[in-house]
Amino acid sequence: MSGKTNEALLNYLYARGSEASSLNKTGGWRLAAPEKIKRLSPCRHDCLLHSEVPDWMEAVKGGRWEDAWQIMSRSNPFPALTGHVCFSPCTENCNRGRLDQELEIPAVERAIGEWRFDHYQPRRGPRAVKDPVAVVGSGPAGLSCAFYLSDHGYKVTVFEKSSISGGMLALGIPEYRLPREVLNKELAILEEEGITFITNRTLGEDLMLRELNNDFREVFLATGAWLPRQEKLAGAEHKSVYHALDFLSLFNTRQHVEIKDPVVVIGGGNAAVDSARSALRMNGINHVSLIYRRSRAEMPANPGEVEMAEQEGVELVFNANPAEVVTETASGSISAVLFNHSKTNREGLVLDTSRTFKKECGSVILALGQEPDYSVFDPLEEEMSLFAGGDLVSGPATVPEAIRAGRLAAFSIMAKIESRPGPDVFGISEQPVAFEELNLLGRSDLELQDRQKEPVLEAGRCLGCGTCNTCGICYLFCPDVAVEWINNNYEFNLDYCKGCGICVTECPARALQMEGGY
Amino acid sequence: MKITDYSIENELMYSGHNACPGCGGALTVRYLTRALGPNMALAITASCWSIIAGAPPLTALKCPILHCPFPSAGAVGSGLRRGLNAKGHYDTTVVVLAGDGGTFDIGLQALSGAAQRNEDYIFICYDNEAYMNTGMQTSSATPFGARTSTRPYPLFKHGQKKDIMRIMAAHGIPYAATASLAFPQDMENKLKKAQGIKGFRFMHVLSPCPPGWGTDSSETIHLSRLAVFTNFYPLYEIINGEQWQMTYYPEKTRTPLKEYLEAQRRFRQVDEMTIEALQEEVDRDWEGLLKRVNSSGETK
Repeated sequence: MSGKTNEALLNYLYARGSEASSLNKTGGWRLAAPEKIKRLSPCRHDCLLHSEVPDWMEAVKGGRWEDAWQIMSRSNPFPALTGHVCFSPCTENCNRGRLDQELEIPAVERAIGEWRFDHYQPRRGPRAVKDPVAVVGSGPAGLSCAFYLSDHGYKVTVFEKSSISGGMLALGIPEYRLPREVLNKELAILEEEGITFITNRTLGEDLMLRELNNDFREVFLATGAWLPRQEKLAGAEHKSVYHALDFLSLFNTRQHVEIKDPVVVIGGGNAAVDSARSALRMNGINHVSLIYRRSRAEMPANPGEVEMAEQEGVELVFNANPAEVVTETASGSISAVLFNHSKTNREGLVLDTSRTFKKECGSVILALGQEPDYSVFDPLEEEMSLFAGGDLVSGPATVPEAIRAGRLAAFSIMAKIESRPGPDVFGISEQPVAFEELNLLGRSDLELQDRQKEPVLEAGRCLGCGTCNTCGICYLFCPDVAVEWINNNYEFNLDYCKGCGICVTECPARALQMEGGY
Repeated sequence: MKITDYSIENELMYSGHNACPGCGGALTVRYLTRALGPNMALAITASCWSIIAGAPPLTALKCPILHCPFPSAGAVGSGLRRGLNAKGHYDTTVVVLAGDGGTFDIGLQALSGAAQRNEDYIFICYDNEAYMNTGMQTSSATPFGARTSTRPYPLFKHGQKKDIMRIMAAHGIPYAATASLAFPQDMENKLKKAQGIKGFRFMHVLSPCPPGWGTDSSETIHLSRLAVFTNFYPLYEIINGEQWQMTYYPEKTRTPLKEYLEAQRRFRQVDEMTIEALQEEVDRDWEGLLKRVNSSGETK
C-alpha cells in the first residue's frame, strides 16, 4: 500500500491525473450497506416440499445443472418423479402469470431429474459404514427416507410387500401419469447408492417387528394406506366388483383384469379418477362412468385430472349415492348399479331414497377411499423404537407429502442415532413476495413470452421473487461501480459502496435490504 | 444491450470518485463512457464533475480529461476537436460534459457558437437543475416551484425552466436528444447513434441530485423514471433541428405530476393550486411536443 501511495505522489509531482481514483476508498462514507436476503417466493410457499424453486431455476438458467441438482436434492431427491406426478401447486400463484404466463415449474423439475439420470456417477470408496436402518415399504416415503439415510452413510435395507419396488408409484399411479422407466431409473440409482431392496416380504407375516428391531438400529415404517374403506353396499362382495387400488395394481403390473364394458367407477378421489382413466385405456372398454355422491366442486380429486378424464370421454355423474349392485341371476354377472339421488347440506350427505335410478354396467370399481392398516401394531407386545411416516400416518395423501415425511423421518432417525436435537421443520410464517412488491420497471431485458420448451429458456423466465436471479439491475444502476460479478453472482465491493441504496430500491426480485437501515 | 454483457474490467469509470451517494451525474458519465469509449477525450467545464473526476493525481475515468473554465465549454470542445484532427486522431470521439449552469446560463454563448459552426463533437448536459456544486443556487434550468439557496424556503423559483432542446433545435444541429438514467438502454442507443453522426450533437440528461433535490439517495433512478412517466421530462430526439421523434410514450405508465413533486423536498412549499397549474403546463408542453412530432411526419 505504501509503495502505491509513493507512486501516486510521484505522479502528482510530474504528471496530472494518472492514478486511478480507486485509491480513494469511499466505503468509509457509508452509513448502511446493502446485503443480500432471501424472501419466500409464492412457488416455495405453495410447494408441498417447500423446494427452493427460484434457486434451482437460477442454476438451470446458467446451465449449472450439478448445482441445480444439489439444491433440488436438499428438499426433493426425486425431481423426475414429482415432475411427472405432482399436481404442482407451485405454478398456481406464480408471479410471472401476472405478466404473461405462469412458469412451467414441473418441466424444469423433470429436466433436472433427467440430467441426474444421465450424469449419475456412483460414489467411489467405501460406503455404508454407519448403523443399519430398516425401511418397511418402498413407496415415496420409504424411498425418500432411504435416500437421505444412505446419503449420510447409513446402511439401508428396504422391505416391500409386493414383488416390485415403488409402492404406490409402481402399483397405484397409472403409467400415463408416471412412465415406469423413470421409476426404474430412480430405483436403479438408489440400488447403485448401496440401498438393499428386499421384495415379497409382508409385515406381520414373514417380517416381524421384533426381528426388525433386533436386527436394525432403527426402523422406519411407511407401509402406506392400502386398506379399502368398508362401506355397506349390497352385492359388493361380487368378484367383478374391484376396489380401486386392487384394480390399479393389476392394471399397472399388466396383469389380467376381468372387466366388462360398460364400467362404473364409484368415488370422487384421485384413485377414482385414475381408475376411470385407466379403465378407459383397456381393450374392449368403450364407456366409463365416474359417479360421485356429492357435487363436482366437492370432489377431493385434482380438478385438472378430472378435466382430463372428461376430455378423454369419461362420463361424470354427480349427486348419486350407490345403493345396490344388481346381479343377473341367470348368468351370475353384474348387470347394473342402483343409485339414490343425494346432495350435501349443513348436516352432511342427505339421501333422497324416493328417487332412484339404474346405471347399466358390466363391472364396478369402488374407489370409496382407503385407510392405513394398523393391525400389525395390534397387539404391540413390547416397547420398541419405531418411526413411521407417509400415508400410514397422514392417511391417503400425495407423493410430495410422502417424500417430505420420509425426509423428516430420515433426519429424525439420524438425530436420534447421533444424539443430536431433531431437525427443524421448515415453517411458513412468512408471507410470500407479492407481485406488487416486485419492481420490474428497470428490467428492460424482460420480454413478454409464453412458456418455452427448452428448460434453460423456461428457467430464464423466472422472476426470482425474493431470491437474487442475477438480473444485473444492481450492477447497472450503481453510480460507484461497486457491484462486481464474481463466481456467477453479483457481489458488493464494500471498499467503495457509499451506501446510497439505489440497488435496494431498484432490485426487481426484492432480494436486497439495507443492513442497519437508514 | 444486455446488462450482463458488461464486466467491471470494461468499465471506463473507476470506483472511488468523489460524487455524493446516489449521484445522477456519476451514473450519467458511467453510461456515456461505456457507450462511447474507450477512444474518447472528455472536456469538463466547471460543474460537479470537476470535483467528481478526482483531485490530482487521482482520476475517475480511463480516458483523458481536460478541465476548462465555466463559460468556455463549447469553445474548448471545438479546440480539442481541431487539435486532435491536426494530430490525425480523427477517430477519437470528443465529448464536452457540462452541468446545467455551464449549458443553460454561463456556457450558453460558447455552446451556441459551437452549434452554429456545427463543430464535430458531442455536448452532454447533465442537468441537476441548479448550481449544485456551489451550493444549490438557482439556475435557468431550475423548474418553477423549486426551493434553492438563493430562493430559500418559503420562497421558491418563479419562472419556467429554459427549454434548451428548442434552443438547440433552432440551431439546426444534426442531432439532439433527451435521455433518462432510468432508461439506460434508450440512453445507450442515443449515444451510439450520436457517435455515428458527424457535426454538433447535443444530449440533455436529467440527473437527480439527492442533496439538492431533497430526496433519499436511493431514489435517483425512481425519480428519473417518474420524471418520464409524468411527462415532466419526455424522451425524444431531434434530427437536423426539424424532425422530432419520440423514443418513449408513457401511455400505460402515465403518472400525475403531483407524485413527482411530492417525492422531493425542494417542492414542499408548492400548494395544491400551483401543482394543478404546473400539471396544466406539463400537459400543454406535452401537447406541443406531440404537435411537433406529428408535424415532422413521424407517426406513433
